[in-house]
Amino acid sequence: MSNILEFSFMWDTFIHLLQFIPVTLFLAIISMILASIIGLASAIVQLRNIPILKQIATVYLLIGRAVPTMVMLYIVYFGLPILLLVFTDKTGIDTGYQHIPPMVFAIAGLTVHTGAYLTEIFRAAILSIDKGQMEAALSVGMTWFQGFYRIIFRQAALVAIPLLANQFLGLIKSTSIVFTITVIELLGGAKIASVETYRYLETYLVVAIMYWSISIIFEKLFLLAEQKLGIFKKEANI
Amino acid sequence: MIEFRNIHKAFGENKVLKGINCTIPTGSVTVIVGPSGSGKTTLLRSVNFLERADSGEIILDDIHLDVEKATKADIHKIRQRTAMVFQTYNLFKNKTALENIMEGLAIVRKVPKAAAKEKALHFLEKVGLGHKAAAYPHELSGGQQQRIGIARALALNPDVILFDEPTSALDPELVGEVLEVMKKVTQEVNCTLVVVTHEIAFAREVADHVIFMDGGVIVEQGPPQEILNHPKEDRTKQFLSRYISLVEYNI
Ligand SMILES: Nc1ncnc2c1ncn2[C@@H]1O[C@H](COP(=O)(O)OP(=O)(O)OP(=O)(O)O)[C@@H](O)[C@H]1O
Ligand SMILES: [Mg+2]
Repeated sequence: MSNILEFSFMWDTFIHLLQFIPVTLFLAIISMILASIIGLASAIVQLRNIPILKQIATVYLLIGRAVPTMVMLYIVYFGLPILLLVFTDKTGIDTGYQHIPPMVFAIAGLTVHTGAYLTEIFRAAILSIDKGQMEAALSVGMTWFQGFYRIIFRQAALVAIPLLANQFLGLIKSTSIVFTITVIELLGGAKIASVETYRYLETYLVVAIMYWSISIIFEKLFLLAEQKLGIFKKEANI
Repeated sequence: MIEFRNIHKAFGENKVLKGINCTIPTGSVTVIVGPSGSGKTTLLRSVNFLERADSGEIILDDIHLDVEKATKADIHKIRQRTAMVFQTYNLFKNKTALENIMEGLAIVRKVPKAAAKEKALHFLEKVGLGHKAAAYPHELSGGQQQRIGIARALALNPDVILFDEPTSALDPELVGEVLEVMKKVTQEVNCTLVVVTHEIAFAREVADHVIFMDGGVIVEQGPPQEILNHPKEDRTKQFLSRYISLVEYNI
């Protein structure tokens, strides 16, 4: 080996690994969307003090934030099939759990984990909106839902975006652990490639650069969204 | 017409409304005055159920509600017939001046967008802010925001507009412009206006009916000359003496 870093090899690896980027993005984006729905719902349940649902949300938050993502992933991966098996046994309804692709478990695990954090983000963002905004909405005759969707949510979303961006960048990195449950994404693909060539350093440098590039692109996208949504917002004057 | 029948409201141990009975005639300008903490805001907010009274009845023309039994649908109905102007304006921060007025028309009243826009512009001009249609609330002064708050309420053409100290949060030099708009409103519209305010001079000028509240009860009520110039009750005299020099109200 003449050079410490073989650049032509790195380039080839880069090209080879490009095929795994869609998997990583698919995992991250779908999990983020599902987690946003769960997070928003459980934030509302908590803020509106809806009985029973509130208790469920509280337990979910405790577990979701306390359990490491990888452990969560394993629990979903090994636990969900058993749950479905029992369900099939008891009811005779075939869930076809043997045929569920590991990708589904990966998304479920990441969603459960991320949703708990998003709950807190949405809760704080909604709480930061002056309660006079909802009162004004109700006073002109809107329903609670109209007021929430048209007024509160849109203001809260703007508050939440930078935090959501953070969470999403973290989630992109978290997708790298789904390799452990046999989903081959960017890191998984790189591991396989490096085993074949023994060029670990080059391969992982390429992977690092690829994660970094993805992060930068999304950071910019979130910033753009923040600017676009924030036209009504006063500039910070610090 | 709004009628309160034996309205009670407590926040925990703190009894804020202790049996309010009164009738506010249709089309009248009724001003509610009274010391801080006397329950004026709470009474006003009990009309559109932003604050739900504990017991009593609220009657708005044909809507007759026992507050304990009022359903979501009842509350929605009463909110569609009323509008409110808030002390802190509460303009929708994510909407322009024009959109603030359009919102209730388009979303609640289901007015087609073009017509809603036209109507909103009309009311924006009425409060002298046609040129600020595209401004967001943070780009407007307090006085301008409140004038838009008034336009937002007017545009809905409600049976009742509830004003909760519309000028109290304003810098002194901005109070005048808002009172000017309010005077115009009292002359031009025929909906019922209920105004909580500390502007005694304004009350004297525009009110048909004045209610003086203290400690969760109505101490006295009547025409402004009577209540503001020749109050019978000591508590009213005491309260007014803080606003008017003795000489003035002996005239
Ligand atoms: N949401 C609330 N929770 C608890 N107490 C409240 C609440 N709103 C009002 N109060 C209390 O009720 C009492 C009456 O308040 P209210 O706002 O109706 O008075 P007010 O006559 O409007 O006074 P001000 O002139 O200062 O506006 C006060 O003692 C206040 O502390
Ligand atoms: Mg008040």
